[in-house]
Amino acid sequence: MFFPQEMTSLELIIPEKDLLAVTNVLTGQGVFHQVDASHLGSRAKSESIDSWKERASTYATLERQVLLAMQALEVEEGNPPKNENPTVVAIEDIRPLMEEIEQAVKNATSQLVSSQKRLEQLQENINELEPVADFDLDLGMLRDPRYIHSILGTMPVSNLERLQTSLTRTPSVLLTLREDRKNAVVWLTGASGNADILDRAARSAYLNPFDFKGTHEGTPSEIIKSLNAEIANTRQQIEKQKDEIAQLRTTYAGQLQSLLWNVRTSRMLADAMAHYGKLKYTYLIVGWIPSSKLASLSEQLKRASKNIIIETTPSKRGSSGQNVPVSLKNPGILSPFQMLTTTYARPRYEEIDPTVLITITFPLLFGAMFGDVGHGLVLAILGWVIASKRVPALRGMASLGTIVMICGLTAIVFGFLYGSIFGFEEILPESPFFSKLIWMQPIHHITDILLVAIGAGVVILSIGFLLNIYNAWVARDWARLLFDPNGLAGLVLYWSLLGLAGSIAVPGFPVPTPVFVVLVILGGVAVMFSEFFKHLVERHRPLIEGGIGMFLFQSVVELFEKLISLFSNSMSYVRVGAFAVAHAGLSGAFFVLAELVDGNRGLGYWIVLIIGNIFIVGFEGLIVGIQTMRLHYYEFFSKFFTGGGAPYEPLTPVRVEEK
Amino acid sequence: MGGVSGYAAIHSRIRVMYSTLLTPEDGASLRDAADLQTLVTLLKDTPYGPYLTGVEDKDLTAKWAIHQVKHRLADVYLTIIHSVPAYTRSLVIQLFRHFEIDNLKAILRGIVTNSPWEQVRDILFPMGSLSVLPAQQMLETGNIQAAIALLSSTPYYDTLTHALKRYSEEQSLFPLEVALDLSYWQKLWAKVNQLPGRDRAEAMRIVGPLVDITNLMWAIRYRVYYHLSEEEIINYTLPFGYRLRDEDIRTIAAGGDLVRVLDRLYPGLSDTETLLEEPERGLPKLELQIQRRLRQQLKEVFTSYPFQIGLPLAFALLIELEVQDLTVLIEAKSAQMPVERFTPYLLMSTNADDRVSA
Repeated sequence: MFFPQEMTSLELIIPEKDLLAVTNVLTGQGVFHQVDASHLGSRAKSESIDSWKERASTYATLERQVLLAMQALEVEEGNPPKNENPTVVAIEDIRPLMEEIEQAVKNATSQLVSSQKRLEQLQENINELEPVADFDLDLGMLRDPRYIHSILGTMPVSNLERLQTSLTRTPSVLLTLREDRKNAVVWLTGASGNADILDRAARSAYLNPFDFKGTHEGTPSEIIKSLNAEIANTRQQIEKQKDEIAQLRTTYAGQLQSLLWNVRTSRMLADAMAHYGKLKYTYLIVGWIPSSKLASLSEQLKRASKNIIIETTPSKRGSSGQNVPVSLKNPGILSPFQMLTTTYARPRYEEIDPTVLITITFPLLFGAMFGDVGHGLVLAILGWVIASKRVPALRGMASLGTIVMICGLTAIVFGFLYGSIFGFEEILPESPFFSKLIWMQPIHHITDILLVAIGAGVVILSIGFLLNIYNAWVARDWARLLFDPNGLAGLVLYWSLLGLAGSIAVPGFPVPTPVFVVLVILGGVAVMFSEFFKHLVERHRPLIEGGIGMFLFQSVVELFEKLISLFSNSMSYVRVGAFAVAHAGLSGAFFVLAELVDGNRGLGYWIVLIIGNIFIVGFEGLIVGIQTMRLHYYEFFSKFFTGGGAPYEPLTPVRVEEK
Repeated sequence: MGGVSGYAAIHSRIRVMYSTLLTPEDGASLRDAADLQTLVTLLKDTPYGPYLTGVEDKDLTAKWAIHQVKHRLADVYLTIIHSVPAYTRSLVIQLFRHFEIDNLKAILRGIVTNSPWEQVRDILFPMGSLSVLPAQQMLETGNIQAAIALLSSTPYYDTLTHALKRYSEEQSLFPLEVALDLSYWQKLWAKVNQLPGRDRAEAMRIVGPLVDITNLMWAIRYRVYYHLSEEEIINYTLPFGYRLRDEDIRTIAAGGDLVRVLDRLYPGLSDTETLLEEPERGLPKLELQIQRRLRQQLKEVFTSYPFQIGLPLAFALLIELEVQDLTVLIEAKSAQMPVERFTPYLLMSTNADDRVSA
């Protein structure tokens, strides 16, 4: 929970005959994270690897074909079969069935698509003809006139001006009959002697002439009537074709689902084998598995191959520079907050997973900034609705819903502590029971709440320093532990500065000021020359890079930057108190507005208050959420959390989603 | 947010990136590289280095190298797009989209020639997250109509569907490609004109000459190569320009004096008459001369007021021209062409003495 799952490096050497059986075990368990070992094999013997690569590519193409057919027939993927020993299906066994289905689906869907296109075309034709519907003229007459040449059709509006320009030297008339944002219905006419020029100009301006020759004849209104009849006919055809597709769905749904999982499994197996290393007579498989799964996997591997050689190396945290895949294992309730952690970065293997911490601090800081029983209740209900997946459109946001719900609950708790409900600051204090719960009302104790917020910030930042020290200790990174600006040196500087301020400001402070002065100097020197000390501990040479002058200048700047950042990081938490005050202030502003609208506290008064509360929950809730995230990402995480861990992606045909 | 505050960050970034443009010394050593391997090794010491790692000498091909070099161009564009003030972003994206137009044309050609995806994929420009084309799906449809249907949610759909009728009648990609080009430049011009005050003027200084070159070369090619009629040339060209006037296009379309138009637009071009006498060879050389002038104009932007959109636009185009040069060099080295044959086609200076002017 506090660290990613412990992983073990696995190297397997297997004889060629057991290739498939071992791969089946590795993929069937869904715990083996493969590492590409194809480059480790002997090049001359890599034909079989290449052949697996080709097969993986063929299966991928087949999988895409199956998915396309399923999409066309609206068939769901279904659940993966419960088969612990998946196998590679022979391509020639599945191809005939796939081709049969594909052909049937293609025929049915292409007919449907073509009918739908025809329908669209017919409707478009009607739209085009409507502007000239009252012309009592047989359009057929425009086609073969003796003295004039006419073109009636549609063209892009953007080309109108150019068409006009292109015909400047040719006597002609261009009439725009209808024009929308994109297209125009136009009538271009001129002397039949210039028919070639007019046609060329029209064509090059992308004027598409109406062409009903042989299908619809007569005046525009007659053609529209005839087009409407064809539309009705086409609609009937579409219904019939949809029935045929439904029939195909009934026939092939089960076969397609089975095909999909077979092909997907085969693709995954082939892909896995393409990444094995090929030795002379054996294969080399490299990867990672969670240490807790090692025993059961080893047992099954030995059952699958008697001659298998299994070499395992448990990966100790910080023991190597290997890129160990990171599998986060947090209980269900923490998973929404894990999303907040991984949005920032995935922890490295040797690093603390801050999910537990953020699960505590995120709702706490949010609640402290947004403390109000009523507003918290609204958020909690809203979060519950989202988390319960009752609204289909919000199902993808279930994790966010849980976070909102928990934040809403802490806002309720702080609401009782602040004595605020829907912005009313006097209801709870007047209640004999609830008044006992009130700790302080931020709007009346501004200085106190701001000081408490800074105090909370100091505690959180100190935890950040301590976690960084702990991470460095786990990683055996002594230089970072001792001299990193966020390590022991930084912590000594931070705490001694706080102590110094306390000893000066508070009369009778238990520790004398000179002690803190000495510690500030020690911490300051360690931070200032942290690069030098780190090089010293790591035996890195040269100790100073870029000349002594530049080094001293950089060191002074670094110390200054660190002092500023310690101050600004701590002050950053003032916002927790400030938002608590602002929350009450904003509510107060809406009360004033409501009084202005309706001093008698009638309907207008309550409408303004309701709008105000909606605004506070929506707008202020969002801002407070962003600020809480900012405090975690920029002030807290940056102290100890480096991230950059590789995700753990076990081999399995089913997509494994980290809980 | 425009002005100094809006452009401060992008300005410093562009200045830093500007200093990484290849120098005449780089140009000279690249030109003199013994072969493609040496050229790529030399490029590894330039900002193109990170894009050219991870391939063994025996696997090195000109196609791969060109593709990788284009990755840097794409990255520069994406950096600029993300750094310019929000109100100018759509202009830069539209400018970048001409690579997507080229990709779209390549896919359509791939469909017509029945090319496999692997072959088409290698020639597509790496648009990154800004690509809106379902390229592989389009190619796999195997027919132009179905491929265009897949573009329904893209800005290319309306243009292509309107031109589709002509494709069906003529079975040639020409009308589709021309429609795409015209629409692209019309949109780019509209984006420039939507900018406020100074930015509009500065963007016009960069985009305007680009429109002029494109429109002029179209008109000349339509007349000289394709022998199109006056009305076709007019319809296949743009009605706007910076220094190129519509009268110029109409003059060219009507068979008027090309040299006079060129002299007015680009006084001092050498041998225009001779070049136009033998257009097959002459036109590319003419275009190169005009592009060299454009390159000079783009460099001059860096000596003017810095907090404006012209600077990022100019830099993007300079990198584009640099990549054009590198493409020439890579192709030439791959074909083992002698230096004197390909040097005239380079825009960059390869004379180390030109350092100051370059």
